[in-house]
Amino acid sequence: MELDGFILGVSSGVTCVAFCAPALVPYLLGEGKGISQNALLTVQFLLGRLLGYLLFAVLAWGINRSILQGMSKPSLLLLIGAAYVVFSVLLIYYGFFRQKTACAMTRTNGLRSRLMTQWPVSIPLVAGFALGLSFCPPFLLAFSNALEKTSLLQTMLFFFAFFLGTAIFFIPTPFVGIFRGFSALKIIGKMAAGLIGVYYLYSGIVMLIGGIKI
Amino acid sequence: MKKDAPGGRSIPIKRSLLKTFLLCLPMMLLTFMMLTQGSIPTEGGRLFALAVTFFFFNVLFFLMVRTEKTDRFRSILFVTLAVCFVISFVSNLIEVRGSMAISRADMIEGETPFCHLVIPMTIIPAVLTKTIIFPGKILGDHAIAGMFVLWIGISLALGRGLCSWFCFFGGLEDGFSRILKRPLIKNINKKWTYLPYAVLLVVVLMAALTLSPTYCEWLCPFKTVTEFVEITSVKVLMQTIIFVSLFIGLVVVLPILTKRRTQCGLFCPLGAVQSVTNKTNPFEVRIDQGKCVKCNKCVSVCPTFSIDEESLGRERVKTSCTKCGKCVDACPQKALFYHVKGASLTSGLDRYRLLFLYPAFVVLATMAGGFVQDAIVKTIKLISTGSMI
Repeated sequence: MELDGFILGVSSGVTCVAFCAPALVPYLLGEGKGISQNALLTVQFLLGRLLGYLLFAVLAWGINRSILQGMSKPSLLLLIGAAYVVFSVLLIYYGFFRQKTACAMTRTNGLRSRLMTQWPVSIPLVAGFALGLSFCPPFLLAFSNALEKTSLLQTMLFFFAFFLGTAIFFIPTPFVGIFRGFSALKIIGKMAAGLIGVYYLYSGIVMLIGGIKI
Repeated sequence: MKKDAPGGRSIPIKRSLLKTFLLCLPMMLLTFMMLTQGSIPTEGGRLFALAVTFFFFNVLFFLMVRTEKTDRFRSILFVTLAVCFVISFVSNLIEVRGSMAISRADMIEGETPFCHLVIPMTIIPAVLTKTIIFPGKILGDHAIAGMFVLWIGISLALGRGLCSWFCFFGGLEDGFSRILKRPLIKNINKKWTYLPYAVLLVVVLMAALTLSPTYCEWLCPFKTVTEFVEITSVKVLMQTIIFVSLFIGLVVVLPILTKRRTQCGLFCPLGAVQSVTNKTNPFEVRIDQGKCVKCNKCVSVCPTFSIDEESLGRERVKTSCTKCGKCVDACPQKALFYHVKGASLTSGLDRYRLLFLYPAFVVLATMAGGFVQDAIVKTIKLISTGSMI
């Protein structure tokens, strides 16, 4: 099991759910269904996210095979190290300074309302997929982490573990009332993501130094 | 003892000397037993240290009971504990190892003393792997098991009171925070009070991932004044730069500038855990809105940012309250008071404070006793021989 993917998911999952719950929860509330039906909608939503993540896993593997495998070790270290530095700086900025939401799903309101009238069953799935394709800093960091994996299976397992880590925080979503007092958790989640960014910044700098030294 | 005030609440008035003495008698007996541990030392220096420590502790407790000021006297002992801990611990390290730095060989031998700040990050790996991810001993001096037992007991008795009545590190920043008369930095964004929870989440996850005590290795500022890993690699050098910077920033500079305990209130992951234990603890600090004139004195003096306008409205301090008593002392209207959960809010307020003071002071005296005596002995040695060792 890709433990680092899971840990990265757990550490940014609070942020993920805190920022994207404002889009998911009103939808669940709007549907006005019971806990079990809300749970079903949440599962559909999560399935959509998983599809989005797995698509990125294939993309990361493709980049690895087509570009990275032909590169020398120092160049590879420099490239991945630079990616770590850039994305971790983004994550730190996002964790400690950026106040607004970074979730792609919040930008899909128009599309969601159109889909709602035509294919109501697909809404949670599409919404989850849109969230899965979100270029938020924790996700980009996961993406650059996945670039290091050499096989498709490893890359997919990494994203699957990342998904599992973030999905834990969606478990209470059917009990939508819980999210009313969510502001503190949102701040803690953002800050935790920022701190994880500091750790990855350190890892990136170490890789860059390693790439320069070789 | 008490007179009635409008609204049915009783206002405590000063006790007689005899009654204060009688109330302090149990503490005298307890501290005597603790400090002597059943035998009075015969060596002059040790006997002197014992007498001074016993007198010092009991005078402070007497004044607490007599004047009804808690933090004023608690802080003296709390800061003394921190300073004496550093003197005693560092001199012992140098005596045994010849240096404050711990070598890899000593770590492998399990010679690293275990401190309470490591507790949160050891729990998940202990559950997952059935091992303690700390290079210390399970039993014996400075042992892991002993610290766990102490932590559980004190958390049950005092909740986050541990941070103001037990933690031998907190006194350092408490001392620095009292240097200036007025704070130079007054406005700190409320969002930073959530940082300890984020630090806790990250260090626990990273400890589970790397199976190493992340906070100790990378972040603990107090290694600067206790012990640290010998610098033998770039990684350890970076770790040293980080924890020394955190010490200078969070334990020295910011407490001086803000007059707050910034490490405890804005960073410490154990503090975040202790805030949760406040929920399972019988003691709390309450606010009487009827008496409160909204002068915000309590808001501005609270060292751990545990009171704001919202808490005044709710008549409760936040869960991050360390029960230091600074707000209770500072309130000109006596609107803040120690309280036992579930008990009456209109009578017996002074009794609640006493009920809290006994266990809290016993904890503080127990923690401080050995270190204060040892620091006195070492100081006498320094004066008479020119060396502490």
